[in-house]
Amino acid sequence: MHPLIQYRVAQLLEQDLGDPNHLESTLSFKKVIELDEEEAFPEAELNWLYNWHLQDYYVPVDCGGKFTNFEEFLALVRVLSRRDQTTGIAFTTMFWSFLCWMAGTEEQKQKLAQFMIEEHGTMCLGYSEREHGSDLVNGGLTATKVPGGYLLNGEKWPINRATRSGVTFVLARTDAEGGAKGLSLFMIDKREISNSEYYNLPKILTHGIRGSDMSGIGFNNCFVPDSMLLRQEGDGLEIGLKGFQITRTLCAAFAQGAADTALRTTLNFALKRVVYNKTVFALPQPRKTLVDAFLDILICDCETIGAARGFSVIPEQFSVWSAVVKYFVPTQLEKMVNDVYVVLGSRFYMRDEHDCGIFQKVLRDNSIISMFDGSTVVNLHALMLQFRQLTKYRAKRKPETMAEIKPRLATIFSLQQPAPNFEPEKLELFSRGADDSLQGLEIALQQLEDLRQESNVNQETLEKLINLGKLVLDELNVHDELIAQSKFEFGHEQSPELFEIAKKYCTLHAAACCLHMWIYNRQLLGEFFASGEWLVLSLHRLLRTIRPMPYLISEVYLENVAQELVRLHRENKLFSIVPIQLAQSEINKQEDQTNAITELVHV
Amino acid sequence: MQLQNSSMSNQVVIQNWLIKQLAEQLSLDSATISITEPLTRYGLDSIDAVTMVGDIEDVLDVELPSTLFWDYPTIEKSSQFLAQNYDLSNLNNKADDAHVLEELEETGIEATNSSKGWGGLFSRIKGA
Ligand SMILES: Cc1cc2nc3c(=O)[nH]c(=O)nc-3n(C[C@H](O)[C@H](O)[C@H](O)COP(=O)(O)OP(=O)(O)OC[C@H]3O[C@@H](n4cnc5c(N)ncnc54)[C@H](O)[C@@H]3O)c2cc1C
Repeated sequence: MHPLIQYRVAQLLEQDLGDPNHLESTLSFKKVIELDEEEAFPEAELNWLYNWHLQDYYVPVDCGGKFTNFEEFLALVRVLSRRDQTTGIAFTTMFWSFLCWMAGTEEQKQKLAQFMIEEHGTMCLGYSEREHGSDLVNGGLTATKVPGGYLLNGEKWPINRATRSGVTFVLARTDAEGGAKGLSLFMIDKREISNSEYYNLPKILTHGIRGSDMSGIGFNNCFVPDSMLLRQEGDGLEIGLKGFQITRTLCAAFAQGAADTALRTTLNFALKRVVYNKTVFALPQPRKTLVDAFLDILICDCETIGAARGFSVIPEQFSVWSAVVKYFVPTQLEKMVNDVYVVLGSRFYMRDEHDCGIFQKVLRDNSIISMFDGSTVVNLHALMLQFRQLTKYRAKRKPETMAEIKPRLATIFSLQQPAPNFEPEKLELFSRGADDSLQGLEIALQQLEDLRQESNVNQETLEKLINLGKLVLDELNVHDELIAQSKFEFGHEQSPELFEIAKKYCTLHAAACCLHMWIYNRQLLGEFFASGEWLVLSLHRLLRTIRPMPYLISEVYLENVAQELVRLHRENKLFSIVPIQLAQSEINKQEDQTNAITELVHV
Repeated sequence: MQLQNSSMSNQVVIQNWLIKQLAEQLSLDSATISITEPLTRYGLDSIDAVTMVGDIEDVLDVELPSTLFWDYPTIEKSSQFLAQNYDLSNLNNKADDAHVLEELEETGIEATNSSKGWGGLFSRIKGA
């Protein structure tokens, strides 16, 4: 069993699902590709997951489920998405239930919990409309008050699982005048509204996640009782935006699952394929590309796992952190998938050649993550509107502020510490300028300095980390000066330049998360993690996108990271700072019979 | 009576300050801003209205509900809510432009070009 308890369930699910390369396993690559070719909804696969009781982990403990913290939840979604994003996304529309856990009455929560756990029910989220995508406030679907409830009119589209879901969360206009208090959120139980008053829109043919039930839902004078309204009339936008803070953060797990498969299948190829009498992996350029891809995953781990834990510690800062994660992780990993396909060569484009053509599917499926649930631009925009306050707050920090940030960072980033319970009522629409991760950068630098006294730390590596850490701080100061001197504008007509500045902020944020993650877990996550060489390369990789840096910082480090990558591949472990044991792989069994026998023993 | 008077005058001070904010932020003539019109009428979007709460918190040094301008969507209503629910006893001093500017600059970064410092906020107050 995994020593970190929050990773045990994911490892259990992983083992029970079995090796995706094994043709007979649940969610095998062969099977998910067939389903994709047929554009068929993964009905049997989802049933398997229900019977496994995965849905319990979407329902908080105090509502009768098994959800305890987001770190555990992310690992589960990752295990699922490494096999198939279509299934992962279809099952995980259940995470919209957080709207109810967050804003529902006791009665609404109990009802939804029972629906999910016992009746294998699921839900969808109806925010977007054909005429209004990102522009939620101007949505056109109306809910008109009548005695005992509301009459709904209008359509939501494109909606994932709109047809195949029992509960639909709908954002509707309750005030014809519009405005921020003009929207309300309904949790509509389809069993309790009249069949004749709603309809579903036809399946939409999509580029990726082709088996998904992408459709829509429309209402014609549809009566919904008052009991389906979440909180008060007019609270829809607030609940919606706070709900996004949760779901946007969780979206990172889809991308991370996909990234693991993209890299793993490319390695399956690169380690075997011989060109010029050498394996592809033995050639310096592909080797470096694959190491960089591995680093991208580790960087995103620090950002995502940090955020998942941060949720319970600093929920009031998540208008910032969720926007950073939802922008940074999916785009970084999308780029990573694009980088490694060069190594896979022509096979990346084939739908049935290498590893059943899973790479091609990953490439297509994964590209939706940065779009849905708030696109890249929407998240950057949400972030930049808070820049002025972030900068001002950072400039105003006093020693007492820093003294408060320090223990919070320790709780967020020490994976061994239990994360406190998540309290959704503490979410806020803006973070009042606080962003512990970047504003605690000086704390991290001091901690690095203190490590100069530690005998178990390689001083040369530490020196490099200190230097790179200082560069991150320099860049953050440059950022703050830039913001302090620029003219702030409200609204949607932000300059393209500010979008670039926002991207840099996210990069610095990721760098800070990497540093914190290392500092608090050096003793916990094994030798490779502790050595910090991956961290040197990661910080260097991030900084290179912001300022001119030498191409390579250390050939030895690169080689050591390459060795670790090969080891994780051989031992079937997740590419992660928490490399959980994956199901035994057929591929490696053939490769190395002796290894396989010892590895068959479950952890 | 005393209390009511002070809350009345607080309300007027904050009302005027909000008008000035809005006028300069949205490049409007302050004479055209009515305290009874919804803020959205002047082109302020819902998320902007949340950001503006942050600005006001900064100057008044109090923590406000982030949905302040959603719940009280006119200058009149929000000023009334502020005056009635918050201790703004030093508001008169604070609303003195020179004083506010000084205070903000103390806390801000030393902007090399201070006329542009703190974007809209500084230049607005300075220009006022
Ligand atoms: C596979 C899939 C699944 C989906 N699932 C769901 C679902 O389950 N529920 C749901 O409600 N919706 C869902 N959507 C809808 C999705 O969330 C919207 O497509 C998304 O919000 C973008 O809306 P839009 O495409 O209408 O773009 P628009 O909002 O029309 O935007 C058009 C373009 O304007 C620009 N733009 C927009 N906002 C800004 C800004 N703030 N700053 C700068 N530029 C901007 C961008 O370049 C954008 O691409 C899904 C979409 C897909 C493709």
